[in-house]
Amino acid sequence: MEEEFDVIIVGSGAGGAPVAHTLVNAGKTVLILEKGPLFLPQYQDDKGLSDFKRDELFATGSEKRITLSGVSNQGSSYYSSHVEPDLNDEPHIYQSADGTDKATLEGYTAQVVGGGTQLYGAVSLRFTETDFRLGSFNRDRTDILNDPNDDIRREAPDWPIGYNDLEPYYTKTEKLIGINGTRANQKKFFSADNYQTPYSPNPISRYVEVGMDALSLPRYRTPLAVITQDHAPSGRKVETDLSEPAKTGLVNRYGDPMGYKSNTWVALLSPIKDKDNFEIRCNCVVTHIENQASRISRVFYRDPCGDQKTVRGKIVVIACSAIESVRLLMLAARENADFAARINPNDLLGRYFLTHCFGGAETEMPDRFDKSVSLDSDWATDAFATEEFIRSKGLWAGGAVYNNTSDQALPISLARTHGSQDIDTIWEAFVADTAKTGSELLAFLDRDFGTRLSVSFMANQVPLRTNRIELHPTVVDKWNRPSAYIIKDWHPHDIYLMDTLAEQCKNILAFGGDNGIGNYPVEGFGAVYMASNARARIANHILGGARFGFSPDDSVLDVNCRAWGFDNLYLTDGSFMPTSGSANPTHTIQANAFRVADKILEVI
Amino acid sequence: MKPISVKKESQYVFNHCAKYLARDNSDIRHNFGQFTDNDPAARICESWRFPIIDSYSDGIDFETSYAFNTVTFIYPDFDRSVENVAVIGSFANLYEPMSLTRVENSCYFALSLLIPKGQVHTYQFLVDGVLKLDPINPQTVTLDNGKTWSRFFTEFCTVPLSFERWEMVLLDRLTDHILPFHTESGENFLDRYYENLDRAAKNAQFAHAYRLDQSVGVVNFIDKLLARSERHFLDDYHTCLDLTNSILRGRSVAEIAAMPKAMFVDIYAEMASGSVNGWDYTRYSNPRFFLQLLRRHTFTGAFAHPKYGGNSAASAWAFLEERYKSKVTGETLFDWGRVIEKPLGFAPNYHG
Repeated sequence: MEEEFDVIIVGSGAGGAPVAHTLVNAGKTVLILEKGPLFLPQYQDDKGLSDFKRDELFATGSEKRITLSGVSNQGSSYYSSHVEPDLNDEPHIYQSADGTDKATLEGYTAQVVGGGTQLYGAVSLRFTETDFRLGSFNRDRTDILNDPNDDIRREAPDWPIGYNDLEPYYTKTEKLIGINGTRANQKKFFSADNYQTPYSPNPISRYVEVGMDALSLPRYRTPLAVITQDHAPSGRKVETDLSEPAKTGLVNRYGDPMGYKSNTWVALLSPIKDKDNFEIRCNCVVTHIENQASRISRVFYRDPCGDQKTVRGKIVVIACSAIESVRLLMLAARENADFAARINPNDLLGRYFLTHCFGGAETEMPDRFDKSVSLDSDWATDAFATEEFIRSKGLWAGGAVYNNTSDQALPISLARTHGSQDIDTIWEAFVADTAKTGSELLAFLDRDFGTRLSVSFMANQVPLRTNRIELHPTVVDKWNRPSAYIIKDWHPHDIYLMDTLAEQCKNILAFGGDNGIGNYPVEGFGAVYMASNARARIANHILGGARFGFSPDDSVLDVNCRAWGFDNLYLTDGSFMPTSGSANPTHTIQANAFRVADKILEVI
Repeated sequence: MKPISVKKESQYVFNHCAKYLARDNSDIRHNFGQFTDNDPAARICESWRFPIIDSYSDGIDFETSYAFNTVTFIYPDFDRSVENVAVIGSFANLYEPMSLTRVENSCYFALSLLIPKGQVHTYQFLVDGVLKLDPINPQTVTLDNGKTWSRFFTEFCTVPLSFERWEMVLLDRLTDHILPFHTESGENFLDRYYENLDRAAKNAQFAHAYRLDQSVGVVNFIDKLLARSERHFLDDYHTCLDLTNSILRGRSVAEIAAMPKAMFVDIYAEMASGSVNGWDYTRYSNPRFFLQLLRRHTFTGAFAHPKYGGNSAASAWAFLEERYKSKVTGETLFDWGRVIEKPLGFAPNYHG
């Protein structure tokens, strides 16, 4: 007799953990299947050790090389984190601008309990009210620039829920996850302020304060999912024998051995881990799901030895990050025509894949600071997400702008990201810059160590049907299953939007660096579309591909993130998003997952 | 004396094995030049991670525990055909066998031992009475009696494993030229730093890190990197050091260690240009590629955590700590010690 649970959840990150937390506390039997390991923070280990370390080589490990056949970057080097999948074993393939296929590390969050929330920078912004209704906002406009084929007015969708539907869940997430920040000057309605008090900003962020003030940009402390005080819902404590102990400079791309960073394991799953009606099976990868008519009947997975197991659930929730969730559904559809007809009647599965328009400005500031005493960001502004700003620039949507404090804070990260910002090309510029040797290398450190500051934007990308996830025709993973194939490009309006927002970021530094005059030189500003691998770039914001909507004609999922063609199949990672929002997505994925969990409780 | 075995949860074994070892596909996806294609290790991911070398703590005294690593031996038995697995090795007297235990009826046998840092050991598995090399770990060594054994080394190891003495001397000169420590201010700093680490401080704080011949220990870092995680570059180093040695000896009668700095400035510049006078391109086609590799390894080795064998006594971090200070308060602008574990740093609660 196969085991049966009320709910099986595939993935333990931002999309899966809120569902588990809610349903376990409601008394339902829940099984999480998680592909990655369970790495505990020190305070949960009986010997006081964690598998996460304060070690720069954990973020980007030893050199490995792409050996896959059929990709044009075979032989290229890559350096993955200890909790990222191995690129040769579990490749993501994208179609590059030269028409060839390439393997990329982009588009994987992390393969570990907690998923991407273990490694993320923890920026936890809400989306704006406008983000939920970009269809109606743009429908009758005649002032949108750089949209030659009128794609935006045709394609921009409203979400089937509004900001007010999600607001109580934003509030809930802020409380249960453990987020510090400030509410004043955020241009969104808050029914409650659940933020913990932020730490003092790193002194280098003073330039951002000056720049934002000079430009009359209302600023607030960037909400970060890092606890600064004891956190009752998760039972976490903040040590008091070191000042502001979570500030380490080892934030973005590092797991936190102390558990201050509010990943979903410490925040949501640890409080339920000992309950009899909850189980998490780690190192178990789901390979297949099977249906009987409109019900998902069985979930197939491999145990830590690779042996095949099956399990049944009354409800099945898939939340293993948009690309992998879409792929899992496509693999099931490939095996079974009935499944295919139910999940993909209108050829929408995998379509409207999204990431963010992102970029910014960075430069060397007049003075040096200890950037290793930092979290990921200090100041943010909503000034470029207002409808007034959006209209004034002929844009279709806006974006959040915030500074990055911890990037290049440590010596190895300074060198390996010198001249390159993404994980596919790290080290390339530094090793090729052979003039940086001896006294020239010292001059480089003198100039750049502790002096560099960046301001970034994160903005909506135009949803296009042609941007999509498919199964790759030839490349397979270590389980011999076809790999995900990412086909996407930037819309002309995306490029215009990125140029416009990069300019705003540049202005903040130009005014911040010279006390509000505005002439401070800013060396670098730009956006992701300029990169040589621009089509691969995802920033680990993996969204869309199974969007929710108003009817089976326009979407894969209904308003409650249930697949239209099934009674008991839900998707709660970023794949449900019809637009990518004007902020980092994790907070919204978590809030939506809490919302969907309440909907599941109504039917189970 | 037998080393102490340490109880590790089943979860620990699964956490450190499943991603790397479990699979259906048997393509050769993990051979970057370090294996022959019929080596089973070419089919699994990051085989160098085995045996698993990890931090140790007794849960009570983190600073005395810091002298040890936990070393976890894994023997995979995917077709469940094995009854007994034991390990014999140089870490136990008389090569006394120590049994691995099957983890929760799974395919993995495991045993965790407490081994002091800074050591190198050879071992074999005894699988149902038959001696075998570790089928995963690619590190092997052929002993004087001609027998091949598996090998591992613990953190802070300074025993040369990849290079011969002359190679280390030459590599020291090349890495010196890349790093900022042989600038005047760098040399001044290092002399003072090591001098000021008195014997007591060395024993207490830096028991496993002392000044090596090479500034900040980068050569030792590269030696360990090539022995384990980037073994696929070992031939690049052997070949390019040999070629460089021949060229330099053709240009001067001095010993490598005594050659003037200008000779290394010249050969560095030639390698950067890709055109080295006297280089045998049939043996190695791209000296610039080697130089770029050396740049990454050198910078990483200087500034990585000292457990990897470079950044000796955290001297490179201390260099930045001293060099960068607030003009207003005089306080350092790289306070690395506040987040790094004791006894290396002084983080009160992080244990490394």
